[in-house]
Amino acid sequence: MTKPVELPQGTLEMLILKAVSLGPLHGYGILLRIQQISGERLEILQGSFYTAIYRLESRGWIKGEWSVSENNRRARFYSLTAAGTRQLKAETAKWIDMAAVVAGILGKKADEI
Amino acid sequence: MSLLAAIRKLWHSVVPRSHGDVEEEFRSTLDAYQEDLVRQGLSEEEARRKARIDLGQPTAQNETYRAAIGLRLFDELGGDIHYGLRALRRNPGFAAVAVLSLALGIGATTAMFSLIYAVLLHPFPYAGADRIMNAHVIDAQHPDQFSWFTLSEAELDDLRLAAPVDSALGFNNSHLEITGGALPEDIWGIYVTENAGAFFGVRPLLGRNIEPSDADNGGHSVVVLNYRFWRSYFGGDPHVIGRTLDIDHAPYTIIGVMPRSFAFSDTTGVGDVYLPASLMRAVANVPAPSYLPWIKLRPQVTVAAANAALEPILREIKKQHSGVSAWHLGLQPIIVPYEETGRTLTLLLAGVVLLLIIGCANCSILLLARGRTRQHELAIRSAIGASRWRIVRQLLVEAVVISCTGAVLGVAASYWLARLPLLLSPDSFPAESFIRINTSILVFSVALALLCGILFGLVPALRLSRRDSAHMLPGRQIGVVAAPAKHRWSVLIATQVALTLLLMATAGTAIRSFLQLMQMPLGYDPSNVMKIGISLHVHDPGEWGRLQTREARTAYIEQIREKIASIPGVSTVAVSLYATPPDADVQSSFIVDGSGDGEPPQARVMLVGQRYFAALRIPLLHGRIWNTDENTRGDFIAVVNRAFATRYLSSSNALNRQLRIPGLTSKNHYQVASSQSTAWRQIIGVVGDARNDGVDRPVVPAIYLPYTAVMQPYAQFLVRTQGDPLTYLHSIRAAIASVASDQQISTSGFNRTFTLNEAIERDAQYSRQRLFSILFSVFSAMALALALVGIFSVVAYSVAQRTTEFGVRLALGAPRAHVLWVAARIALVSAAAGIVTGLASDSFLGAVLAHWMQSAFAAVSLFAAAALLALGALLACLLPACHAIAVPPAEALRYE
Repeated sequence: MTKPVELPQGTLEMLILKAVSLGPLHGYGILLRIQQISGERLEILQGSFYTAIYRLESRGWIKGEWSVSENNRRARFYSLTAAGTRQLKAETAKWIDMAAVVAGILGKKADEI
Repeated sequence: MSLLAAIRKLWHSVVPRSHGDVEEEFRSTLDAYQEDLVRQGLSEEEARRKARIDLGQPTAQNETYRAAIGLRLFDELGGDIHYGLRALRRNPGFAAVAVLSLALGIGATTAMFSLIYAVLLHPFPYAGADRIMNAHVIDAQHPDQFSWFTLSEAELDDLRLAAPVDSALGFNNSHLEITGGALPEDIWGIYVTENAGAFFGVRPLLGRNIEPSDADNGGHSVVVLNYRFWRSYFGGDPHVIGRTLDIDHAPYTIIGVMPRSFAFSDTTGVGDVYLPASLMRAVANVPAPSYLPWIKLRPQVTVAAANAALEPILREIKKQHSGVSAWHLGLQPIIVPYEETGRTLTLLLAGVVLLLIIGCANCSILLLARGRTRQHELAIRSAIGASRWRIVRQLLVEAVVISCTGAVLGVAASYWLARLPLLLSPDSFPAESFIRINTSILVFSVALALLCGILFGLVPALRLSRRDSAHMLPGRQIGVVAAPAKHRWSVLIATQVALTLLLMATAGTAIRSFLQLMQMPLGYDPSNVMKIGISLHVHDPGEWGRLQTREARTAYIEQIREKIASIPGVSTVAVSLYATPPDADVQSSFIVDGSGDGEPPQARVMLVGQRYFAALRIPLLHGRIWNTDENTRGDFIAVVNRAFATRYLSSSNALNRQLRIPGLTSKNHYQVASSQSTAWRQIIGVVGDARNDGVDRPVVPAIYLPYTAVMQPYAQFLVRTQGDPLTYLHSIRAAIASVASDQQISTSGFNRTFTLNEAIERDAQYSRQRLFSILFSVFSAMALALALVGIFSVVAYSVAQRTTEFGVRLALGAPRAHVLWVAARIALVSAAAGIVTGLASDSFLGAVLAHWMQSAFAAVSLFAAAALLALGALLACLLPACHAIAVPPAEALRYE
């Protein structure tokens, strides 16, 4: 197991949107998928996880529906709404932009300036 | 956030997911996680424990949910409100005093505001009401004397063409009679020029307004009804349009009913019916009708500019009548006569705001006093993690709960309170103003309530939420602890006392000036005198034919007079036309013998019978009053009042001088003048000054003439009786009927029956001052009660807290008087400080108030108020303080 990474403020919501965009998932499923994609490097604070889900739902970016899970249990499955798709796209673009800029600055050497 | 998202958020906050739904979802996650942990090799119990530690309790999840979607603030506020209400229920005494303190203030303030709204901000229903002007002619030599003037139709048309004039309305009031019923009934009709509908711009309640087409063919016989007349005469019948109303023996078609707010006219009295002006010439047989004008200026035209532009036109018009020159035109917005009332109301509003501040201070004091007993509770809250902001918020919410409860009571009470001034002083307000609770007033009271809640809640909240109160936690103040200095109480009490003193001094001044007004010599004796008006039946050809000549009319009126005089208990009966003090008849020009060619001076000309002076007990100063023969003849003699003699005849003996009134002729065919009415008249007597320009204004020069000089189609009898004159009304009706069975006495319009004392009470200045004294007395009584309750509760609370201390003091041998002093000291000192501050600021404010009230604080009323306040404060301190020494020391020590 590699070194765990701490999430900057506000990025959890983006990751949840991404996880849900790959297909409807229930709450625990989202948690598992994020950990799985990140290669188990993300330690998500459990307390803030549901707060993020509730907030996304109340903003109308994801919507939840009761259904039956893979092991025959009732669970609430979340899927991305149209607004959520737009939001994810915008956030992703913003993040990549920002990361590129920050990485660019940090990557500069003294003689390059 | 986009609009759609905002709406969605709102939707979610209104209909959030249910409690069970959130919990079930969380449980399913918890179970799934737990199963995973078991799969990883944990025991069932360990997995359960770890899952809950990592994810949290399902029962707490709902709170997380509500916090996440932004409902937490609502939840907490809801909790605070709930808690606040519960706290109030637990302390009903405290709650009642606090809520009442505010309800008084908020109720009175809302009432005053709605009055000001109705009277000053929106008094008239007319379109462009602020541009409508009353027109006066102002005497250049005596600018305080102004008079109305009338214009003919052609002159009105000239005026309409003037640049600053948007439109002009002419109107003429007339005494009419409804005929066709069993008994004739008097009504007050107003003929209006046919542009009335457009001029007023008021939508009729039913039917239509009078329109220009109503002037066709000499005027259509149509009538528009006043709201009140429609209610009283037709019982508010909605199908009244198209029916006919018989007025003066002619049928009129009812075409409209005006709404309740329309009560034209303020200038000359509210009409019962409105008729097209063209009818005056055609039906009422007035060959050259004259109208009082209402002039609506164009927008953005100033009054001064309009005066300057219209004066030459008016001068041209007036030149044709007489050579008058020393006057100028004074246009006056129709609201101006009520501005005095507006000033009164502003002052009253200041009074109620003071009352409100006192009420707020009272609530602050109560909260602070009670807060000391709550410190323990607050310390616990603080100790278990409540932030200071959280505690302040809770205390503020409690304060706002109190103030809102107070506001609800207050607004309900204001509905009645606002009517009080209208009842006490009906003639000071525009007839159109009636009080409604509307949106702006409600917004005002809600804002006021919140403001008050925050205002009086903030000081105690900040004080009580201080971190250092945490040290209270280990144990309550047990034993002998000297009470910490209570600066805030002292300041609040001192403020309250000072403001109360201000209110009391104002009330004292108002009462004093009212008493002065009441004691002002009237120059006549109004007690037990009643006036009764009769109108001759001008439209009944048979009867009118008999009363055409002066002699017949004089005989008829004298016959009725004698019949009334013969009623047992009636001491004097006099005839007068309009000369009913404290007001009097119209202003006319006159010429004194030997005067130059200059501007003829003006005086009130009063047409009266020779017994007028005896009936009103106006003293004769020089000479004599005319006798019966002279009264019948009507010519060659006159009596003047002292003001006349002083102003116009000062250089020589007034008697035997001569004067002449050129305008004393018959103006229409209802009037009959004596043959020599405009000839020289010898002044045969000088009488004392009787008020003839209102109760409070100086007496203006007056000329008394026999009423037979110009006979009118109406007359008034001034009846002096033994005891209450109104009890004679029945026998007087019978006496009049014995002369002419169908002669009614007037019951409406200005001719209606009332006593002369009533006439004084209806005087604007009199009723305004009475209103002022009554309301300010009520305000200051309320303020006094509030201030005393404040002092009382502070002392009572501190005594209750310090019972042990007092017990120890007494047990150690402190004299009772000393303990009493210790208990009452703080409150007494702050009350005294308040009184001193109040006295100091009142003498400063006295100058400011003098400007508003026309009389400054008198030292007498100020010190009387201070003494009363000091006595009250002393009692309020000593009563609860006595409680401290009444407790036996042993019991006091056991108290905790």
